[in-house]
Amino acid sequence: MTSTQHEICVTSELANLANIGSFVSERARLSGMSEKQVFHVQMAVDEACTNAMVHAYQGDPEGEVRVCCYLEGNDFVVEVVDQGQVFDASSVPEPDLGRPLEERDIGGLGLFFMRKLMDSVVFVAPHEGGNQVIMRKRIGGRLS
Amino acid sequence: MQITTNHLKRCDLITLSGRFDSSNAHELQAALRASMDEGVYRIVLDMKDVTFFGSAAIRALVQAYKECRRWNRGDVRLAAIPERITEVLDLAGILPLVQVYDDAVLGVGSF
Repeated sequence: MTSTQHEICVTSELANLANIGSFVSERARLSGMSEKQVFHVQMAVDEACTNAMVHAYQGDPEGEVRVCCYLEGNDFVVEVVDQGQVFDASSVPEPDLGRPLEERDIGGLGLFFMRKLMDSVVFVAPHEGGNQVIMRKRIGGRLS
Repeated sequence: MQITTNHLKRCDLITLSGRFDSSNAHELQAALRASMDEGVYRIVLDMKDVTFFGSAAIRALVQAYKECRRWNRGDVRLAAIPERITEVLDLAGILPLVQVYDDAVLGVGSF
């Protein structure tokens, strides 16, 4: 069963990341998550929204980023939606954590955090264009 | 968000506080850059009051780390990392590779 949806809609200015972070943290906390889990959600959502602002909107601050949270069973679900350029997450390689820091490529960390900190991350290409990423975290689940 | 650089004898001590995300990671990058431009490649980052450290900030840290360690001329060391941030840096595979100290005094003294 899906609970009430809570939503925040902001412009694609990077300065709005802090507002989104506060909103999502509060919703996660109210869902009964531990502070550790709340931080994981905040981190993953920050990265997803950064991707929308920097990559989908190419830094244009006039776009719209919508973040929606709800509960589905024991899962806390966050959706991040934009109407920017379609972003192919599969084209971004994971950082190679086995190599010394000096030799490592710096990219791919944002997506990596999303996948590691949330229980599932699904990318959807909506009919109307843009991107939708749906992230789930089991309340009290792994990494709690 | 606040960044304060103290030029000490052994190194530069850069004290960070607040939230570091993609909106302001460039300021962290600039502070690190400023030290390196002055020829200071031994840097301690005091992270005691950091509340959030996203991938953009981590990238700035790693970039500076790489540059400071080039030709063995210096290093970037971390001090007083909050627990939540420690977990993130560990996940990013950075923690095992960077020298970490419980507080800034120990960090500075390590140089």
